[in-house]
Amino acid sequence: MEQLSKINNNEKSIQQGFSPSGCGDLISTRKFTALVVDNDQICQIIEKAILESQGVETQFVGSGIDALDLLATGANFDIIIIAWVLPMMNGVETTRQIRAMGIRSKLLAVTACFDERKKKAFLDAGVDEFIEKPLNPRKVASIMREMKND
Amino acid sequence: MDVGQLQRQFIDYTASLFREMKKEWRGFLDDQFTQLRKLQDENNPDFVFEVVSLFFVDSEKLVNNMAKALEQSTVEFKQVDAHVHQFKGSSSSIGAHRVKNVCAAFRSFCEQQNIDGSAGGSIPMVE
Repeated sequence: MEQLSKINNNEKSIQQGFSPSGCGDLISTRKFTALVVDNDQICQIIEKAILESQGVETQFVGSGIDALDLLATGANFDIIIIAWVLPMMNGVETTRQIRAMGIRSKLLAVTACFDERKKKAFLDAGVDEFIEKPLNPRKVASIMREMKND
Repeated sequence: MDVGQLQRQFIDYTASLFREMKKEWRGFLDDQFTQLRKLQDENNPDFVFEVVSLFFVDSEKLVNNMAKALEQSTVEFKQVDAHVHQFKGSSSSIGAHRVKNVCAAFRSFCEQQNIDGSAGGSIPMVE
């Protein structure tokens, strides 16, 4: 009976948007946003669909320059996914310039071909994680879980 | 042939595309494709069809570009490699396992600037 009452109280708390722990913290119900920076149309569509399946509002651009222009307008993204090969300015340089703008979004390098040099270059430029394609739904779900718990 | 038989044939055929995975070069599809199929729903009922169709169109362009680049008297392996890199990215994203593996081997030939390997001399051709 006590257990049932606890469950009912927890459900009530969640419905009101408060953590059942009783400490009054609001549960994170905010919408996460993402930007995919990749000039391959198939990868853009797939990565957007995967992110949106996790409830992440997603846009994509085809170059590092377009990404920087968008970010310069004040657009804010929780996650930015960057490919290695991009027209005019590669993913590493794009990353460097994004960090130089003071942007603290979670940056994920997602590239078709893994090698240690590439990984190091991306990490040195400021990405949080280096992922070999494909970006899969399980990986995105695990990243979202981490971000929601932070 | 009734609808039930067609459906069973379709299920068997799809399963066979994954079953071949254990033999090197033979697996056409991998788990990524399974994950993409799960993204299809009533809000996005043609997602898989649209993405696969786009992949076929894109693949044809990339293969043609690679072929043209390899026909040059002086082959620009960096250019060929760029096309292969893109092809590997899209094929792995869609779950086209065998194509992804062929691209990986192709890249190593490009890195060695091996014109015979790149032109398909020693790699099983993707049907």
